[in-house]
Amino acid sequence: MFGMFLAILAASIATVFAGIGSAKGVGNAAQTSMGVLSEDSSMFGKMLVLTLLPGTQGLYGFIVGFLILINCGVLGGDLPTLGQGFAFLAASIAIGIGGMMSGFAQGKAAVSGITMTAKDEKNFSKAMVSITLVEIYALLAFIVSLLVVISVPGLNI
Amino acid sequence: MRSVRIIALKKDRKRILEHLQNSALVQVKHTEAQEEGFKRIDTSAQLKQFERNAEVTEQALKILNSISPEKKGLLASFKGKKEIDPDEIGRLATESAKIIGICQKIIRLEKQRADYAAEQIRIKTSIAQLEPWKKLDIPLNTKDTANTAIFIGTLPKLYDDITLSESLAAECPELVFEFEIIYSSASMTCIVLFAPKKQREEAEKALRTLGYSRPLNPTSRTPSVKMQRQLAKSSDIELKDEQAKNDIISYLDYREAICDTQDYFNLRAEKYRVISELDQTEHVFVLNGYIPEEDCGKLQELCDRIANCVVEFEDVSDEEAPVKLKNNSFTEPAESIVTMYSCPSHEDVDPTPILAFFFYFFFGMMFSDAGYGLLMVIATTIILKCFKPDKKMRNNVRLFRNCGYFTIFWGLVFGSIFGDAPAVIYKMVTGNAITMRELLPWPILDTQKDALVIMILSIALGLVHILVGMGCKFYVCLKNKRYAEAFFDTGLWMLMLIGFAVIGAGMAFSQTVLYIGAGTAICAAVGLILTQGRGKKGIFGKLLGGVASLYDITSYISDLLSYSRLLALGLTTGVMAQVFNMLSTLFGTSFIGIIFMIILFIIGHAITIGLNALGSYVHTMRLQYVEMFSKFYEGGGKPFEPFSVKSKNFKTKGSNDDQ
Repeated sequence: MFGMFLAILAASIATVFAGIGSAKGVGNAAQTSMGVLSEDSSMFGKMLVLTLLPGTQGLYGFIVGFLILINCGVLGGDLPTLGQGFAFLAASIAIGIGGMMSGFAQGKAAVSGITMTAKDEKNFSKAMVSITLVEIYALLAFIVSLLVVISVPGLNI
Repeated sequence: MRSVRIIALKKDRKRILEHLQNSALVQVKHTEAQEEGFKRIDTSAQLKQFERNAEVTEQALKILNSISPEKKGLLASFKGKKEIDPDEIGRLATESAKIIGICQKIIRLEKQRADYAAEQIRIKTSIAQLEPWKKLDIPLNTKDTANTAIFIGTLPKLYDDITLSESLAAECPELVFEFEIIYSSASMTCIVLFAPKKQREEAEKALRTLGYSRPLNPTSRTPSVKMQRQLAKSSDIELKDEQAKNDIISYLDYREAICDTQDYFNLRAEKYRVISELDQTEHVFVLNGYIPEEDCGKLQELCDRIANCVVEFEDVSDEEAPVKLKNNSFTEPAESIVTMYSCPSHEDVDPTPILAFFFYFFFGMMFSDAGYGLLMVIATTIILKCFKPDKKMRNNVRLFRNCGYFTIFWGLVFGSIFGDAPAVIYKMVTGNAITMRELLPWPILDTQKDALVIMILSIALGLVHILVGMGCKFYVCLKNKRYAEAFFDTGLWMLMLIGFAVIGAGMAFSQTVLYIGAGTAICAAVGLILTQGRGKKGIFGKLLGGVASLYDITSYISDLLSYSRLLALGLTTGVMAQVFNMLSTLFGTSFIGIIFMIILFIIGHAITIGLNALGSYVHTMRLQYVEMFSKFYEGGGKPFEPFSVKSKNFKTKGSNDDQ
């Protein structure tokens, strides 16, 4: 019973914290891009791409959360033991914190990228690549969480 | 790329330039000064004229669009430019004066409307000023009579009959006066005051101390008459404005003709820009330019056909020459990805073929859903067939079609067709739970169950990608005879990476392979230590430089780890699709439930496609730019920009630019 509670807590941590990172990142980027669009609405496509870049962290968090749910008896799988519950919790911290902080950082990078693109549209691809440089850290956190979560049901703890 | 020199008689100049512009074969070489014995023509006056005309059409179009926005379909941006016969341009030329006249008329009308709007505001303020005086039945500028002084004006405070007479009496006790308050509000009182003429000065002084001021714009008519006149004027102007607007609307039919004329003037301007670059004598002109190797024959044939001229080709090796990428239909769409980074320079190999393959391949692996891939292929094929887009758009669409093929491939490998939709439907129909692995007849890699395998696969593919990039560097160095760079800086690192890969394989399979790998890596490391410090001075410095260079291994490791995004994004697509499939089955199998299911299914998968296609595009691009291009690609070349018809609205039939 307590194992399942921990698993659900883990799913929440992964989804919510990574979501906070993305929400703030995308929010900042969207504010800036709307400023640009008020001057020149023809750049909507490019702005949309740059604005959405910090949005992936929330998605990763959500996926880890979902995978926990389908492995812990809520949406399928067996009821986890106490040890497995703690394992889920430990795994979710990686993407939770990693996603949140990288979301903040990527949001800032996106804001700069948007202003850069607003000055000269040719800078778009450079801005895009520079912003994705941040993403790798969210990805690494995601993969750590993921590898643990999918192997927890097989662990005898 | 070759350089070309066309020498011809001046009387053929117009015809030759027109054909060159139309065929878009040659880029005109830009040089500051003419060769000796030649002259240049100054065409700046004509150029300015053309540019001004283009500007006029632009303004007119803007006005027309602000009055009646052009209706464009959602898919109109895919549509190619309309095609016209080159002879049509002659017709445009004859009509251009008329069209410019129309444009000027439109601009004049618009200017009138602006004047009307300003006038309306003026009238409004004047009416607002007269409003307090409405009850006054004499003109505002009524003069004194023979014995009576008349003061009409405002006081900046609220007064009534008693307070005003008290204030005046306090100011000047001996003053005899009679007044009437026309209007009063908290901040203003309008009065008419009569006093004996001989007391005029005292009265004026008393009023002044109370803050008396005359009304603005006094007129010789009573305020109410004046107001009626202003109102009449206002409605008159409104009518005129309406008339002007209708006049502009009556020109809406000319919108397309104006667009064409704009193109025509831009085209003329382009031609005159080229004329000013030509070296000329009294009877002959010389055009210097660049032409892609494969078009030389076409140009020769064209010139022979239209005029008597000499065409000379020459090989170029200078760095000034522009670069035209040449690719087959499979790799050509990826050119835009390369040029977005930078055009290849003379020392580079054209990275397009390699980039194209890996771009499609990695995009497919990240998007990895057979259903989505199929949708992409169908949608892009329909666009190509029905809209016949122009070259640039066509290549973009083809880029996504090729990505779509690989998306189908990887979707089948990962067993993902709209997520796990087939399994979900199977369960709904039969009631038995089933996994995609059991359902599909071929062996699949499940992104969730086999994540580790896919992660190793991703990094292995990354290694191949990086090695291919380094192989290009190796080739470029060999081609430019920089052997030390080729073998020591690139070759040894390649050996090292291969060594590590073999070690990895050895750990999984056999001890012997592991030893072979370790041996290779150690040899490469020793080689690096011995060679990497070769620029430094002294034995110690050389050795230290060599050892320090081994630190670069970290950058290779981080590059390789970066490829784990192939797994991460592939998984994201699959899981999101699965989530929406699950949500859409929540409503059960009743009639309403099925309807909800279909709606949720469509919306959910649309969201998944949007988010993940964007992610896959961006991250594939990053893998190319950051991980592979950094290994070998310099860029910095100039793209080939031929002298051509640069129009927004039409293209000429049979122009080379669009084959």
